[in-house]
Amino acid sequence: MVTEYLKTIGIKTNQPVGRGFLYPYDVAFSSEGIIYALNRGNLGQRVGTRVQMFNFEEDWLGEFGEGRGTGPSNFMIPISMAFNSDDCLHITDQGAGEIKVFDSAGIPIKQIGNSKDQKINLTEPSGIAIDSEDNIYVTDQARNSVTKIDQEGSVEFTVGELGDGPGQFNMPWGLTVDSSGFIYIADWRNDRIQKLSPFGDFISSYGESGSGEGEFNRPSSVAVDSGGTIYVTDWGNERVQVLDSNGNFIQMLRGQATLSQWAEQWLDANQDELTARNRSNLKIDWLPVHLRSPYQVSAQTEHLFWGPVSAKIDKSDRLFVTEHSRARIQVYKVGK
Amino acid sequence: MVSKTDTKSQTNRERRWISHLLRRTGFGPTPSEIDRFLNTSHEDIVEKLLDFTNTTTMPDDVIFRMFPECHAGVGLAGASAKWVFRMATTTNPLEEKMALFWHGIFATGNDKLDNPVAALTQIDTLRRVSTDTFDSILLELSQDPAMLIWLDNQTNHKQSINENYGRELLELFSMGVGNYTEKDIKECARSFTGWSLNNEEYMSLRCQNGSIWPYHRIAWHYEYNSDDHDDQKKTFLGQVGNFNGEDIIRIICEQSSTAEFLSRHLYDFFVEDEEPVSVWNETPPKNPDAIKMLVNEYFNSGHSIKEMMKVLLNSDFFKESEYKKIKSPIEMVTGILKLTGEAEKPSLTTINAIEEAGYMGQLLLYPPSVEGWHAGEEWISSGSLVERVNFASSHMANITSPGTSDILDSVYESCGDSATVKDMVSATLTILGMYNVSEESINFIHESCGGETKTVDCNDMSRSSEFSSIMSDILRIIGSAKEFHLS
Repeated sequence: MVTEYLKTIGIKTNQPVGRGFLYPYDVAFSSEGIIYALNRGNLGQRVGTRVQMFNFEEDWLGEFGEGRGTGPSNFMIPISMAFNSDDCLHITDQGAGEIKVFDSAGIPIKQIGNSKDQKINLTEPSGIAIDSEDNIYVTDQARNSVTKIDQEGSVEFTVGELGDGPGQFNMPWGLTVDSSGFIYIADWRNDRIQKLSPFGDFISSYGESGSGEGEFNRPSSVAVDSGGTIYVTDWGNERVQVLDSNGNFIQMLRGQATLSQWAEQWLDANQDELTARNRSNLKIDWLPVHLRSPYQVSAQTEHLFWGPVSAKIDKSDRLFVTEHSRARIQVYKVGK
Repeated sequence: MVSKTDTKSQTNRERRWISHLLRRTGFGPTPSEIDRFLNTSHEDIVEKLLDFTNTTTMPDDVIFRMFPECHAGVGLAGASAKWVFRMATTTNPLEEKMALFWHGIFATGNDKLDNPVAALTQIDTLRRVSTDTFDSILLELSQDPAMLIWLDNQTNHKQSINENYGRELLELFSMGVGNYTEKDIKECARSFTGWSLNNEEYMSLRCQNGSIWPYHRIAWHYEYNSDDHDDQKKTFLGQVGNFNGEDIIRIICEQSSTAEFLSRHLYDFFVEDEEPVSVWNETPPKNPDAIKMLVNEYFNSGHSIKEMMKVLLNSDFFKESEYKKIKSPIEMVTGILKLTGEAEKPSLTTINAIEEAGYMGQLLLYPPSVEGWHAGEEWISSGSLVERVNFASSHMANITSPGTSDILDSVYESCGDSATVKDMVSATLTILGMYNVSEESINFIHESCGGETKTVDCNDMSRSSEFSSIMSDILRIIGSAKEFHLS
């Protein structure tokens, strides 16, 4: 086994402020080890879009972001985040067509790729990654492309077009860069991971459509650890797959969430639910035939991944899997 | 020899019939849908409409990526948007219309469930079995966790029965008031003891508390608890036995009152607005012969809904029912989203439109009571009428929408480089499948667009051109015309 379950962080909220998650979509880690969680919020109800800060011990440290809108501290449809070496947090906003940049305290610094920025054209930026030299890589789900922006703010390359051939994409989502500069992209609607060279050239492709080992159903995110092992949130199959550095299947994670500290505190304060919960069997061992899709199984079974949208690895070799529909993050130790 | 005029007249008759059929069996036709069925017999079209294999709709993954609320089932988006996206993009609209039909009868409200995934799973079930036998539909319904919670059957125990589900099963779901006794209700309830859901105590409590903690709602599934089932002798509708729920459904489906009740529901939804169901026991059906025909098919086909639908859609009474129904808010809103192409991609436009349908009196998955929505003229109040007309007019007039833009292209193709307002209105109504529109409505459209003889240069199709401006006006006024809101 290359992973070991550590803990779960988070709790559901329906409030636009305060502790708890409302469609968490991604996490990023500052140089001080603070965890930043992106709450996409409820688009229909137009609330709850913000970034929350806490540490691994689940001490809540605050939040920033002023909900939905087009201002520098607002978001339309935020998707993913990455820090650069100066602890500037870059957040893609698919709805605004730009990357918003904040300092680690949440003060807005600038926007990249909006309509005023003629140098960088982004339509619906989705995934984002930043390498050790502060180059920014961003996928654009509408343009079916990957763009590399250097630290001076110039576009080094944009590659990709709609298609299912090598170097082509269909609504790409998350991406990452390994220690050698290779780029890995979750080619969402092509059900595969594509690996590109640091210059944007196609290197290889891992996976195909399906629910078997090494097969994907709409992969949303990819992470690579220091040893080259690849972690993919296999979003439509409601699972995480672990591949070796050549893309061969190693391990499947289906989720094993336990109660977070925040969850325990809530249940302590709501004894009626705690009592009924303790009398229940939440490990579902049988379902009717029409409820056996991964989506329905996860909807029925609390500890399994439901909407695993992002995989991120911190400096301590811990894999954070963010689940938008369970409003929590499951953490695993990797590289064992 | 057939003249060109005869051919055109025949085509128009065909288009008129197809448009009527598609309004009733779907959410209004698009021009291409009308064309698709030209030169096909009525019976063959009905066969095709009732064939739900190979349906394609907007894929769930695309919806979920844009709206995680739909994935998790939260709020207005999670509760109903996924279904509306499906209604507006399906290649088999009758499949969704059937689900909507059953949703209106087995009206289950998410306000009590507070679990949209469970509510939508019920809709998935209704869609899956929508044209099966009535027996299998009632069996699936009786094992649907959303229904069990909605009508409290999880608290229907061997030692203390809860009659709620048993009563509504007889009164609103199958036989109608006056065809059973209070004793039958009790015996029915006894037969459904033990029909419950997983972790009933915890799930009921969460539902009661409206709890989303710690990790959001947990969906439900049916569980039969044999220890809690009353397996003693019962007498139900004159039959005696150690009945379980399946036996009760079998006996219910054998009753002529069930066949009549179901036939009247089909007639009410697909043919002509009836009085509210609450007065059916004291008001005769509008067309007793039609009900008789459907009842006969119910028994001849072994209670098959599909066969009843074939009889209904091929009948003369259906063909003669053009514009006899008022579109429900969801039919009207979905039809416009489909026509304008605004629902081709998941967007907030659809979410907002669903909200608007709520203001017009119909919020999907939130029926006003277990009796469902009162339809027909009850859709129209002074407030809802304004909402309805404003919605229709504003969306129809937006010529930048992809579907509306296609309509402009078709009008140009039909009218040529220059046309009068009269020609343009006539072409637009034909493209929209709106035949038999009253002279009063047509005159009003003409007058609102500069008069029927006004000549327009159709060559300039830029958005600022006179052609575009008048087309926008024509579509806006059509959206407010009486016939547009009828089916």
